[in-house]
Amino acid sequence: MNGRVETWSRLKGDPAGVAGLLIVGVFLLLAAGVWAGVLGQGWADASGGRWESPGAEHWFGTNVLGQDIFERSVYSVRTAFEIGLVVAVLSTLLGAALGALSGWYARTWVDGTVMWLKGVLDAIPFYLFVAAVAYALQGRPWAMHLAMVATFWTTTGRLVRAEVLKLRGQDFVRAARTIGLSDARILLRHVLPNTSHILLVQGTLALVAAIKTEVILSFLGLGVQDGVSWGLMLAESTQEVPAGHFANFAAASGMLFALLMGFNLLADALQDAMDPRQASL
Amino acid sequence: MSATVLSVRKLSVFLRDGRAEQTVVDGVSFDLAAGEVLALVGESGCGKSKTAEAIMGLLPSGLARLEADEIRLGDVNLARLGAEAMRRVRGRDLSMVFQEPMTALDPVFRVGNQLTTPFRRHRGQSRRDASNSAEAMLRRLGMPDPDRVMRRYPHELSGGMRQRVLLAMAMACRPQVLIADEPTTALDVTTQAQVLEDLVRLGQEAGTAVLLITHDLGVVAHYADRALVMQRGRIVEEAGVGDLFRAPTHDYSRALIAAARGLSG
Amino acid sequence: MNGRPSAPLLSVRGLTVEFRQPGGPSLTAVRNVSLDIPAGGVVALVGESGSGKTSLAQAILGLVPAAAGQVLFRGEDILAMDRPALQKTRRAVQAVFQDPLASLSPRRRVLQTLLEPLEQFGIGDRGSRARMAAEALAEVELDASLLTRYPHELSGGQRQRVALARALISGPELVVADEPFSSLDVSLQTRLVELVRQIRRRRGVAFLFVSHDLAVVRRLADSVAVFYAGRLLESGATRRIFAAPAHPYTRALLAAIPVPDPGLPPPRILSGETPSPLTPPPGCVFHNRCPEASEICARETPEERSLPGTPDEEPEHRVTCHLHND
Repeated sequence: MNGRVETWSRLKGDPAGVAGLLIVGVFLLLAAGVWAGVLGQGWADASGGRWESPGAEHWFGTNVLGQDIFERSVYSVRTAFEIGLVVAVLSTLLGAALGALSGWYARTWVDGTVMWLKGVLDAIPFYLFVAAVAYALQGRPWAMHLAMVATFWTTTGRLVRAEVLKLRGQDFVRAARTIGLSDARILLRHVLPNTSHILLVQGTLALVAAIKTEVILSFLGLGVQDGVSWGLMLAESTQEVPAGHFANFAAASGMLFALLMGFNLLADALQDAMDPRQASL
Repeated sequence: MSATVLSVRKLSVFLRDGRAEQTVVDGVSFDLAAGEVLALVGESGCGKSKTAEAIMGLLPSGLARLEADEIRLGDVNLARLGAEAMRRVRGRDLSMVFQEPMTALDPVFRVGNQLTTPFRRHRGQSRRDASNSAEAMLRRLGMPDPDRVMRRYPHELSGGMRQRVLLAMAMACRPQVLIADEPTTALDVTTQAQVLEDLVRLGQEAGTAVLLITHDLGVVAHYADRALVMQRGRIVEEAGVGDLFRAPTHDYSRALIAAARGLSG
Repeated sequence: MNGRPSAPLLSVRGLTVEFRQPGGPSLTAVRNVSLDIPAGGVVALVGESGSGKTSLAQAILGLVPAAAGQVLFRGEDILAMDRPALQKTRRAVQAVFQDPLASLSPRRRVLQTLLEPLEQFGIGDRGSRARMAAEALAEVELDASLLTRYPHELSGGQRQRVALARALISGPELVVADEPFSSLDVSLQTRLVELVRQIRRRRGVAFLFVSHDLAVVRRLADSVAVFYAGRLLESGATRRIFAAPAHPYTRALLAAIPVPDPGLPPPRILSGETPSPLTPPPGCVFHNRCPEASEICARETPEERSLPGTPDEEPEHRVTCHLHND
């Protein structure tokens, strides 16, 4: 198993991982700036003329309503991170909890119920499910978050379950039982920490998936209601591109691509860095 | 004085550990004569398994580096052989039996299927001929009801039986050299004697030279003709088994023998 | 094995352990086994794979349920205890497992691993616990600087010592060890065996250890219990069992070990296979491989008998074999 120091040094040695880390870092700073009220505040203002070209005043130009595209792009970083983080954290926690329970109590009714639930959720086509939830919770901004958490946890749950099943038979768990530790304590203190490599990587992947999903949902009009996101910008650009104005499209898709690329590089490098099998030969 | 069948000169294996390289086998040299059983004995981590892997061309590429003046099998220098040529040599002239019989057999294929493979691949026999050869092999091992054994799946056999099947597979082509890496460590002691006897007997019948890798000095005492004592990648003593136990010359050999004798009372 | 006047510390009576395969027949891992462990004594359970020795040890530790029988610790049946009573017993009966890398929690430092039993059993307070952890390490001849390390940063020998320290830190009366020496090299084994002897002399703690390695058993154990296919075939003082084994299986087992001396005769082969636990043979469980089997052996299961002629201060020499039926 790896200490944090070893993982970090392995990550530092991986050029792809460093690149990913840098890219994500830059975006994180942008998001922080928006949260702090320093950047992207003018996303809703019609501060310019219609479809102005990129220039000194508006770095990326303006859209059909005269809104500054740069401001909107930067604000969207915050939207992306917010969705990403909320969904990633909640779905990972849910997946860890349910996965651990079903792995620990494998082949009992607990396991059966969780697996059944997983099967049901996996069987529903995702976008239909999200659309249904979003529609049902009409207008509520967290509809999309709820739908995503409810479906994203299953992958993490499955992986955690498999790992817990494997760990359950190991001697250190037996040793904990000989001291008389309760099942709950053993799970929390000994078993779950040994799934952290799975959780970290899955969390990162969930974050990426959430951002991508939000883009599609917003594009379909089911996503962000109060604010702007790359998805909304892309939806707007469907009108603009045929008219010859690419700024909106370029900005949104360019930044989206960059952020997702950064996360993918980071997630891959993280997985390699945390892989306990790398530690021995 | 038998002919030398395997000649190893200055074999070294380096393992990559992050950016540094660790020397796990350090300039090992020895000869293996036809028909003899040579034990390579040492404690875990001394490099004996890596030596075997190096000779077989089974070192994990990218992580391990091999350097040798020569690894001569007959008139071929294995150290200079490409991967494709090495594959032809393996199984036909040079074969190996590993420690874990549990994982060495593919669980989804019947034993008969796996046992006939070396006959078909390396001796070009037809399926029927290979099947007969395989059965004959099992019978030579003294296995009761070889026909039934062939129809079983690996998990239906005990560890001892599996190891004997693996031995049969390794000896199928009457190789010049058989390397056995801790072949009985994972087995019960009552089965160990059977497997080791089979090993030695098959080797003698086929004229195969055996390189027996073990940490168990008891095994060395009763099944080997000569022994190489290995410590930290180097061979520290080379002697006939009788001489080794009667009058070991190196401190480490002495310590090993004393520890083994001390425990057995 | 109770030749002593005082009551044994732990007494196993008629224990049977079964495992049910999911959706299949049940497998009897241990059948009707009785043995005693005297206070401060060292008892070894020997046998080959599938003999049931590990299942017995696990049943004593409460890690697997027993289908029948009792485990009396200081006279009380721990299999029938409720949680609070069981917790008190846990403190007195601790365990060491075979693979130290797997038995120490990989993401916890040595200090945390040692503190855990102290916290769980409510021993000491924050101040004294750290000190006790350092003392526990000293007792197993390790430096206190290892407290901050993770298991994977230690060598195999060090890890096993930490596992031993963890077992001893709560001051148990009995330590149950499952193949504690198997993962170590011969030279490390010798050192660890020596350490265990010292600890036993100093603390008076009893040991029950499972081993397939008769050499270690000979060095460490007062008495030996020989298992085969779930049954206890022979038990008695170590010296006696090694010098004059009564059961044909014990004899075969001893004869199969290669002794590191080429001058001595080679190991003898025991033909046949251990019976599958799912289909135990009728009669004596060893009869199909026994060189001295007779017609009754295939028909009737022999009963355990105590052999006459052992001095009072030695544990009884018991054997389960038709050859000793008189």
